[in-house]
Amino acid sequence: MDLAVYDLKLHRGRFIATVLGVGLLFTIVLAMNGLYRGNINEGLALIKATKPDLWVVERYRGGPFNEQSTLPEFYHYSIKAMPGVEKASPFIYYTVERPISGKSRHFSIIGYDVFGGLGGPQKIYAGRNIEEAHYEMVAHPKLGVRLGDRIPLGLHTYTVVGLTKEAVSSDGEALVYLSLPDAQEVLYQRDNEEVRSQRERLLRTLSGQSYLSPSQAEKLLPKLQPDTHIVNAILVRLKPGADRTEVSGGIEKWLYLSAFSTEEELQLMLKGRLASMTKQLLLFRTLLLIISVIIVALVIYTFTMEKIRSIAVMKLIGAPNWVIIRLVMEQSLLLTIGAFLFGLALIHNTYQLFPRTLLLVPGDDLVTFIVAFAGGIIASILGLWHALKTQPAMALGG
Amino acid sequence: MEILRIEGLSKIFGSGHLEVRALEDINLSVSEGDLMALLGPSGSGKTTLLLCTSLILDPTGGKIVFDGQTIFQKNGWAGVDIRRIRREKIGFIFQSHNLIPFLTAKQNVLFPLSLIGLRKEEAESRAMELLRYMEIADRADYLPALLSGGEQQRVAVARALANNAKLILADEPTASLDTGRGMRVMELLKKIAKENQSAVIVVTHDVRMIEGFDHVYQLKDGRIIDEGQTQN
Repeated sequence: MDLAVYDLKLHRGRFIATVLGVGLLFTIVLAMNGLYRGNINEGLALIKATKPDLWVVERYRGGPFNEQSTLPEFYHYSIKAMPGVEKASPFIYYTVERPISGKSRHFSIIGYDVFGGLGGPQKIYAGRNIEEAHYEMVAHPKLGVRLGDRIPLGLHTYTVVGLTKEAVSSDGEALVYLSLPDAQEVLYQRDNEEVRSQRERLLRTLSGQSYLSPSQAEKLLPKLQPDTHIVNAILVRLKPGADRTEVSGGIEKWLYLSAFSTEEELQLMLKGRLASMTKQLLLFRTLLLIISVIIVALVIYTFTMEKIRSIAVMKLIGAPNWVIIRLVMEQSLLLTIGAFLFGLALIHNTYQLFPRTLLLVPGDDLVTFIVAFAGGIIASILGLWHALKTQPAMALGG
Repeated sequence: MEILRIEGLSKIFGSGHLEVRALEDINLSVSEGDLMALLGPSGSGKTTLLLCTSLILDPTGGKIVFDGQTIFQKNGWAGVDIRRIRREKIGFIFQSHNLIPFLTAKQNVLFPLSLIGLRKEEAESRAMELLRYMEIADRADYLPALLSGGEQQRVAVARALANNAKLILADEPTASLDTGRGMRVMELLKKIAKENQSAVIVVTHDVRMIEGFDHVYQLKDGRIIDEGQTQN
């Protein structure tokens, strides 16, 4: 005789309300799981999609994604000259906020050598790759653009020639691929008034030097303008059979730069930018699971206390302990499993509505279910303890 | 045949200056088909005696022989499964019916049958038979909350009879009923004792209800002060 089910039938309204309430908590736990996976997936997506043999960055910097790294663009010639290097391409990556189709959009720009260089989009699902030196772009559809759209950035207008979905920025924002000079122009484009005022200030400083004539100062001025031929990394493809460690050791030793494999670059992100978010999400998930277990425990305790006289009667009639244990534990597990299934169904039907990508993985759902199931058992302990402690004598008297 | 014999039973709560002698030197015996009443005012020890007889409360001393087997003596319960004895050989009727509120009348009767492992069809047929016997079969699928006090008590009696109990213990079974309904319950208990050959022990404070009982024990301050029988 399934006492738990009969009892729940009588209190179905309260039971359903509790299942929905706890289910919403499980929805948040599962959403956090998805957010955690999505965060890592997005954080690493660009590195995985680009996947060169080596990422060469400023010395002692964990760039270009985990921290800032700046290198003169011409360094790729020096790197290309290193033994074992087949190709070395400049690569620039930065985040901007610009108006796109009348709306302010936050996105990341990648600049790369569009004529056979590394770092460009690998999979274009609509249109084509960039083929011209200037004014073409490949974008992620998250940016809200379509093939053929013309997008003004800085001084120029760029045509969307291709769409790619293979990666997003480490913040989950859309990516825009431009040719390297275009990307540098968008990044370093300064306001005309600012340029004029800087020039005048520099000219005044130079003119004040006794060892320079005014004409010499005038000639020197263009040489002292800020250099915009700056990149964040040089991407390297090794020659077949070349030893990666040897090549990266050579680059570090002779060129005073740092070189990471793609695997090392992924680790830099995991232990760096993504680590605190990961810990934060883990903490939230743990707290929410604990709260869920406490709520289930309190509900089951209340359910049990309401039945305490019936439990006393059952014991007096001679019901063995397993009958009581089954009654309490079954309710706890029905509540936990019902709530989990509700949460699971809800999140799997609404995850697309979240602003950040939720990557729902069956393994995570299973682990959460196991934890919730164990939680349900733990939650029933308080009620069970009370039920088993109940004296059958309580059934006697008025 | 003797169902229950109690010899020199005592129960002491607390110790030292807090010691309370709830029962002292209780001797009684009840056989198949007997009706026994335990009378007495509040605090006389009736409920304590019923608890000991129900095998719920450990006596301090004395001996209990149930169905020919010594189940309690000086050193405690004599290695018997007392819950099993309760579920297989004792039926309980309570003052406030104590039906399980989330089970229907029929399910309440089925519950003790499920504990003794009766097959489902057999249990269902026995439950319905008992409900018919109690003239409440038409309410079999009602929850207790939808039954009147008298109907609830009849279901409670049906539940107590479900396991073919050798001993039926009734704790103030008429206390929550009016006189008419109370009398009918008592008549029912008499009928059960005679037809089922069960021994019935009733704890009550209402002497009007025990007419025709075979044994009447009057308790006061934990002792039996009077023993006799009533006239039909």
